[in-house]
Amino acid sequence: MRELPIALITGANSGMGLACAEALAKKGWKVYGTYRSVKRAEPLRKLSKTLKVVPLRMDVDSASSVKKAVAQVYRKEKGIDFLMNNAGFVMAGFWEDVSDADLKAQFETNVFGLLRVAREILPIMRAQRSGKILNVGSVGGLVALPVLGPYSATKFAVRSLTDALRMEVKEFGVEVSELVPSEIQTAVVQNSRKGEKALSPDSPYTEFTKSYEAFAIERFKGAAPIQLLVKVVLKALSDQPMKRRYLVKFEDKALYFLKRFLPAGWIEAGIASQFPWCRWPRNGSN
Amino acid sequence: MPLDVDQTTSVQKTVRSLLKKTGRIDVLINNAGWGAFGAIEEFTDAEVKAQYETNVFGLMRVTRAVLPTMRSQGSGRILNVGSVAGHITFAGIGLYSSTKHVVNAITESLRLELRPFNIQVTAIEPGQIHTRFKDNRRQNIAFKNGKSLYGKILQGVLEYGDRKSAKAPGPEMVAKVIWKALNDRRMSTSYPVGSDARFYPFIQRFLPDLLYDRVMDFVYSRFKRAS
Repeated sequence: MRELPIALITGANSGMGLACAEALAKKGWKVYGTYRSVKRAEPLRKLSKTLKVVPLRMDVDSASSVKKAVAQVYRKEKGIDFLMNNAGFVMAGFWEDVSDADLKAQFETNVFGLLRVAREILPIMRAQRSGKILNVGSVGGLVALPVLGPYSATKFAVRSLTDALRMEVKEFGVEVSELVPSEIQTAVVQNSRKGEKALSPDSPYTEFTKSYEAFAIERFKGAAPIQLLVKVVLKALSDQPMKRRYLVKFEDKALYFLKRFLPAGWIEAGIASQFPWCRWPRNGSN
Repeated sequence: MPLDVDQTTSVQKTVRSLLKKTGRIDVLINNAGWGAFGAIEEFTDAEVKAQYETNVFGLMRVTRAVLPTMRSQGSGRILNVGSVAGHITFAGIGLYSSTKHVVNAITESLRLELRPFNIQVTAIEPGQIHTRFKDNRRQNIAFKNGKSLYGKILQGVLEYGDRKSAKAPGPEMVAKVIWKALNDRRMSTSYPVGSDARFYPFIQRFLPDLLYDRVMDFVYSRFKRAS
């Protein structure tokens, strides 16, 4: 038996990943927190001075990097009890402004990267016949918003992959669940990327994209404190068994409920009312 | 017309030569796609990417190529062929199903983004249809080689699917629904095709999570015993 339970959190050098690493370490876990770029690993290194947090270099976009990092943890600890698939970013832009390469970059990290890490860790958890995996989805994976199409697309994929994986690995004693946050006080907006043609003068969407940016900044003023999310993650860890998915804010739970029980057209009308520029032209017929 | 949705140049070339002949495109039906089959853990990186290349990136490549034309026309309709698997998922079809969930995300957001240009978007969502989909299904290497740790359940799912597909309605039913969508003045958010395409999403929506999971556990245990 290992001395301490072992957790691996991807993208742990900032935001939700960092906060969860700290909280778990304080609860008696040994946390491997992964970062991609050495330049941005400072917050993790600082944490590792006082807590049982080990910074681990891993680029989820690279299969060999993921393999190497997980092997390193396994050699040392002989097991992994908790995986939080947290690494991800937001690609914003109207679908037409987002290039093939942009879209692939978004999936490379948010979906293929998540699968890469799971693929390396599942054999370890299956052999233990125990382990918990928490995939970080988003409310954007429940309803798709304009301008956030590519991001929503990856989070729809995370939702569905989490559900299928849960069913597949249950008999091996491994649990899989989805964490579904919405606006949380992190740097996700500042760290977001934009499609190649977004805001370019010849894009027909440039005006809309601008007004969306203002909207996003306004929405994030009401973002929930990160500790609210940390509490939910700790609850997921203590739940036996984990629930299918964990929503964070009350309004997200309300949305999840509405999305299930209301006709899709009503939900769409509700979203459209938030985006006044998504209007039909005045005299359009088709 | 020859067109490989996996290749940007092929898509652009074909759309260009079509426009040279007709000058306009009123309807795009994004139908090209195939189904990967296997356990999520056992898909290689390359297998995952191949599935997304066609079902997701390919769909967007064609869409991107026709949108400037539809915008300048001030009209157009895009019908994305999704699947009942865009709402529900199961062991073995996890990867395929995730691409169809993505098609739903694309449809939902495109619908809103293209309103100002008077372009309508919808998803056609067939359940089991008796087509050559079976021949277009690609099992991942692990399962095909008989080395899958999940072999028993996957075999059960596969056999069940084949039994159902033999009795399923033919592709004419999808054509009929597409025709209806094209004649609707304002297209609905989605068009399920077949009773199963309505039933499974319905029970997932209206059964509590725990109960739905129990139902799935039951189905699961039957698959395992059957194989």
